[in-house]
Amino acid sequence: MINKNKKGAMEFSFGWIFAIIAGIFILSLAIYGVIKFINLERQSQDAQTAKDIGVLMNPLESSFESIKRTMITTPAQTRIYTGCSNETFFGTQTIRVSQSTYGEWSEDGTNIYFQNKYVFSENPVEGKNFYLFSRPFELPFKVGDLIYLTSTKDKYCFIDSPKNIEEEIKALRGLEESKNENLFLEDNGDECPEGSINVCFNSVSGCKIKVFTNYKYVEKNGKRMYYQDDALMYAAIFSNKEDYECQIDRLMKRTEQLAQIYEDKSKFIFTKTSCDSGLSVSLIQLANSARAVVNSDSIGVIYSLADDIDRQNDYSGCNLW
Amino acid sequence: MVNKTAQMKIQQMSFMLLAVFLFFSLVGMIIITVKMSELRNSATELEKQNAMLLATKLASSPEFSCGDVYGTPKTDCVDLDKVMMLKENIKKYSNFWGSSNIVIMRVYPTNKTIVECNPTNYPNCSSINLMGKALAGYDASNFVALCRKEKDKGDIVTKCEMGQIVIRYEEAK
Repeated sequence: MINKNKKGAMEFSFGWIFAIIAGIFILSLAIYGVIKFINLERQSQDAQTAKDIGVLMNPLESSFESIKRTMITTPAQTRIYTGCSNETFFGTQTIRVSQSTYGEWSEDGTNIYFQNKYVFSENPVEGKNFYLFSRPFELPFKVGDLIYLTSTKDKYCFIDSPKNIEEEIKALRGLEESKNENLFLEDNGDECPEGSINVCFNSVSGCKIKVFTNYKYVEKNGKRMYYQDDALMYAAIFSNKEDYECQIDRLMKRTEQLAQIYEDKSKFIFTKTSCDSGLSVSLIQLANSARAVVNSDSIGVIYSLADDIDRQNDYSGCNLW
Repeated sequence: MVNKTAQMKIQQMSFMLLAVFLFFSLVGMIIITVKMSELRNSATELEKQNAMLLATKLASSPEFSCGDVYGTPKTDCVDLDKVMMLKENIKKYSNFWGSSNIVIMRVYPTNKTIVECNPTNYPNCSSINLMGKALAGYDASNFVALCRKEKDKGDIVTKCEMGQIVIRYEEAK
């Protein structure tokens, strides 16, 4: 009698075992599916945000209006990863986004590719509000617009900056200081906001970013990035050495192509109107020089050539740009 | 008799589990289809937004802009001579602006028929189809000035006409 009871307590029918196994299988499959679906949804959200950011950069294409700054706000805390590749003819700018949900960052999102954009930023740049401003890059004709992306969380303090930079930053800041302001102008480092990234001009100590205007280079994380004009100086300040050099390479490729178009235009106008710009040879030289630039160290050569060409164009009876 | 009832129960349970599984699979598939359609719509919407913003700013792009060639700097001014040369080098620019095609059309003075520009008939033509593709898909456009240099009675003069930049984009697949 006792034996019989014991057997009954331990007994699991085949039906129960089958239901439990099948239930576990179905539930695991459902949980796996839901997790996959949520990840996919987050990835698609990230990709959409990245594309959105890229699309919103279109209005930053400058004509001849003064420098301006726009703000983009994301729905959640966001990390924007910018990347540069120079494998294709014009190279590519990539933008990738990761967003935080309940303190957890989404997995590496999809890279969105742009060929006509040159974005300079920390990598990644993190926050909810981001400032974008742009400056044209000219060599001597306009080659592209350099876009600078900063988070309002990263405060940049420009110490003892030259007059022209000071004027420009004042113009960017506007008349009233915003609570999200991230660009500051001070005479010495003590007056900078706490935790700010100090950008010093011609000074050697106590600064994360040093700008040497006489030698035309920016030193950041112990690495030098050479520049020739203010557009590239800002680019060096806001980005890192690897991305900066890659973007220089991409800009040179576009310069080469534009020099080719202007040379063709010179011949075309001459055929049409007998008006000779006299710039064909110089433009071929410019294209060759652009092709020869491998990094920012050798950028000075192309700028002196560009200055000569610009003068020739100004005095030409048939200017091309 | 006992065995037969147990077998029936197992069969019932199997069918039930299969039905539950199929039901959830079906629901999952419907959700995925709806989500995919939403994703496609938002991708198309982004393409549309890109095309609209591009149309308003493309004239400022170095490959199109007039710069200082025609006297003072002008906004929304396309250097038609330069665009003709861009068309000659367009292969390298195939994916450059992220749109499927860019067309520049003369709006005024009007042409009775659309004549595609080439180095031989230029400037007596009305349209430059940059990528040379058929005019398919959706478009966004913006009015611009189309300027060029011309010879008039021995003098080199600037001639500007009214035109339109049309950015074509396709529905996301």
